[in-house]
Amino acid sequence: MRSPFCLHGPVRHLHSAYDDVRRRGWELVVGIEVHAQIKSRAKLFSNSWTSTYDELANTHVDAFDAAFPGSLPRLNSSCVDLAIRTALGLNARIRRRSAFDRKHYFYSDLTSGYQITQNYAPLATSGYVHLKKSNIDVRIKQIQLEQDTAKTTLEQRAGYSVIDLNRAGTGLMEIVSEPDIRSPEQAAEYIRTLQELLRAVGSCDGHMEQGSLRCDVNVSVNRPGESLGTRCEIKNLNSVKSAMLAITSETQRHVELLERGQHVFQETRGFSEAKAQTYSLRSKEDAPDYMYMPDPNLPPLLIDDAYVQRILEQLPELPEQTRTRLRLRGLNDVDIDIMMSMDSIMEIGFDGKTGSKIVSYFDRVSQYRDPTVVAKWITQRLCKELVARGLTATNNPVTAERMGELIDMVQDGKITHGSGRRLLKYMLDSPSAKPPSLIATELSLIALPIDDEALEEMCAEAIARMPEEVQSYKRGRVKVVDRLVGHVMKNSRGTANARAVAERFAAMLSK
Amino acid sequence: MPLESVTNGTPLTNKTIAIKDNICTTQFLTTCGSRMLQNFRSPYDATVVRLLEEAGAHITGKTNCDEFGMGSANIHSIHGTVVNPHQSPFSSVPWHEREERSPGGSSGGSAAAVAAGMCDAAIGTDTGGSVRLPASYCGVAGFKPSYGMISRLGVVSYADSLDCVGILAKTTAEIPSIYSILSVFDERDPTSARPEIRKRASDFTQELLDSWDCQPGTMDGLTIGIPQEYFPKELNDCTVKPLRQILDVASSLGAKIVPLSLPMTQYALSAYYVIASAEASSNMARYDGIQYGTRIQPPHGADTRKVSNVYAYTRSHGFGHEVQKRILLGTYALTADAFDNYFLQAQRIRRLVTSDFDSVFRAPNPLSANPVKKPHGVDVLLHPSAVGTAPFLSDSNATSGLDSYVQDVLTAPASLAGLPALSVPAGLVAGWPVGVSIVGQWGSDELVLKVGQAIEQIVAT
Repeated sequence: MRSPFCLHGPVRHLHSAYDDVRRRGWELVVGIEVHAQIKSRAKLFSNSWTSTYDELANTHVDAFDAAFPGSLPRLNSSCVDLAIRTALGLNARIRRRSAFDRKHYFYSDLTSGYQITQNYAPLATSGYVHLKKSNIDVRIKQIQLEQDTAKTTLEQRAGYSVIDLNRAGTGLMEIVSEPDIRSPEQAAEYIRTLQELLRAVGSCDGHMEQGSLRCDVNVSVNRPGESLGTRCEIKNLNSVKSAMLAITSETQRHVELLERGQHVFQETRGFSEAKAQTYSLRSKEDAPDYMYMPDPNLPPLLIDDAYVQRILEQLPELPEQTRTRLRLRGLNDVDIDIMMSMDSIMEIGFDGKTGSKIVSYFDRVSQYRDPTVVAKWITQRLCKELVARGLTATNNPVTAERMGELIDMVQDGKITHGSGRRLLKYMLDSPSAKPPSLIATELSLIALPIDDEALEEMCAEAIARMPEEVQSYKRGRVKVVDRLVGHVMKNSRGTANARAVAERFAAMLSK
Repeated sequence: MPLESVTNGTPLTNKTIAIKDNICTTQFLTTCGSRMLQNFRSPYDATVVRLLEEAGAHITGKTNCDEFGMGSANIHSIHGTVVNPHQSPFSSVPWHEREERSPGGSSGGSAAAVAAGMCDAAIGTDTGGSVRLPASYCGVAGFKPSYGMISRLGVVSYADSLDCVGILAKTTAEIPSIYSILSVFDERDPTSARPEIRKRASDFTQELLDSWDCQPGTMDGLTIGIPQEYFPKELNDCTVKPLRQILDVASSLGAKIVPLSLPMTQYALSAYYVIASAEASSNMARYDGIQYGTRIQPPHGADTRKVSNVYAYTRSHGFGHEVQKRILLGTYALTADAFDNYFLQAQRIRRLVTSDFDSVFRAPNPLSANPVKKPHGVDVLLHPSAVGTAPFLSDSNATSGLDSYVQDVLTAPASLAGLPALSVPAGLVAGWPVGVSIVGQWGSDELVLKVGQAIEQIVAT
């Protein structure tokens, strides 16, 4: 499992190269097309289930996926629902009537010889997404539904390709941005913001490394104030880092060409991460004619206001709304980020069932408690302990009720903070139905009352055992008291209140 | 539609029914008359096959057809040409010396099997006339229902927006019992008419049936439209004669005969070929020799760096000449440069053809957003099914030249508008059958079949 605490690591060596381009007086313009796999149980037009990248090849295939003669598509409405959720999250206008088209090309991973997509009338248009750090809005041109292709693997040595149809026909959302992005960092923030949003609405799990989210970027450069330069499209970038590297290297290529007085030709390019270079795939002249044709089997997709309203009512809280709400409850950005990044690695459910989230766990625990105290417990203790054990919010054995009880015991002074931490670890390691108070008693973690004779005894015992420390203390080295306190804490197995013990020592030793 | 009959046990018990070879069966190969699928066995049964078997019918076998349904003479098939089994009752010539005529296409095998008495009924498909034309040439009844009434699941697509499953039988009277079994909503076919639309169509049709006293021997209250565009210059004069006789009798029985005009008809055939070929080029793209069907290995040393180069060997070898021609035509119509002038124009004409029909029928179109009734409209249209009798197989112009396309001129408009159309035998001309076609508003299938039966009675007397 990836740690949520080191997610947004910067790619430092990129910055200098990009700053250099800016210093030389060029402006960069980027637009991004994202292909996001819809997290639905069944495929977009067939009854077979979707698969993960690591499943046995050709086990999720029905007659339609393999383009058998006579097979027909049937639109899976939960794919439509999830795409509408996404469109709502992206503030886009949902078209009352959209339609499906066939895009034709011959390739071995396209069984029917065409991909069903929405070329002429996409599902939604004219949205935007706000980038918090960059503080810009990136406009969304359109969101369309389409089929994913099968996967071809070249067996280099054997000299042939093998085809896996598991992915064939899985629903995709193509999300096309306007060219509103101005730097690799903004591109990275755009992709991550989109990722977070898709996960929040439950429409895509956003795993770039597994191919469930893929990017194509369009890059051009121009002098400030001049019209846009010629753009090149770089295909199939499957990590944020890769997208940033590709944009940077492509920018440099354009600038070098233009500064030498040469032209940039419009083309489609690939990217080699190993060489950090883009390479030509095909020029504009070689661009294929896809012979788009309205799909004669699929009726137009009609979406009325009532339909949108129903989706709106089921729409989970969007990331920006969550942040605002938590801030209003007094949480700081660090705690909010930790909880939300913990949620960002969580597995999301199929067909829009967003699984258990740390944020909703927090909401339950903090319902009648001080939110800032609960946030500290969750971000500084629970999240770390879960990650250390390879657990997530989904399989967290400590229910919100027990977590609340534990926090209450600490807040009420029934157990010390340290005992609370031990109790939490114990509850994570040995899940049981016992209430935390009972476990605390069994583990002898219940804090001793301050005026208790036992405490007096323990302190006296420490004084008797550690005459040297007592002498030092009396000579004025007051810090030595920590050792005495430590001894008591150890003997009480952490149940004593450290401050109370220190105060008791001060009183006893000043006599 | 009378859906309740589906539950009445097995109404087709003892019926033998043949299935056109472009409809998927697990029991038999489904070759579509193509080398491409010469050894193809479908992993599933088409919905129509399942429904027929559930109703107790015995599926006798598969019938020859033009490759993937593309053709009007049934000469484009890997299994060879179908010969029209009809022979003049007055002929004394020995069988092997008789003239060989085409059975029509593309459901030529289905029509021939029925005409030759090899089965009680046959299932065909009709994209632009492929059931009605063979029915006319072979002297049997051939019914193409409204588009969307019978499931296409398992029907190998030629042109999805036009393809209809059709029924062929010796007489129209035998068709309704089969049609009522097949005409059910199939949620696995996205173009299957939904139950609420079927209900609406059924209500509209009932109104028409109520106003026509459909007792034997009377046609009171029935209005028959005769569209003038269906008598083109290509039409053989002698084929009009049987139609004229039918109209005379119908009129004397109380039917009102109304001449009318459907001006878009002249453009229908061109629009039909553009749309059908465009969809065909798309639907044929899957036959690449990878998943199933025939595969031709590229010769040693061939350039196999591009996938399309590898496919070319299979596709050049697997598809016959006619299919290749339509793929090329359709691919051209869909290219970016030609799309607006061909495909989009054809779509426009298709809409105009539909509104032409809507403007003459009394019943409103149940598919339109706000159906309008036209009290002075006609109930059905009547016209010759074909421009002539079955062409000689030796006449290559009539079977595979330009004339072969003209065969569809009278049948394509109803296909474009998705209307129910029935060809009934109207008698013989020079010893060979001719048919007349009855066309109704979308969803008025029951009325069309009733009128067909009434006309058969006129012909019989």
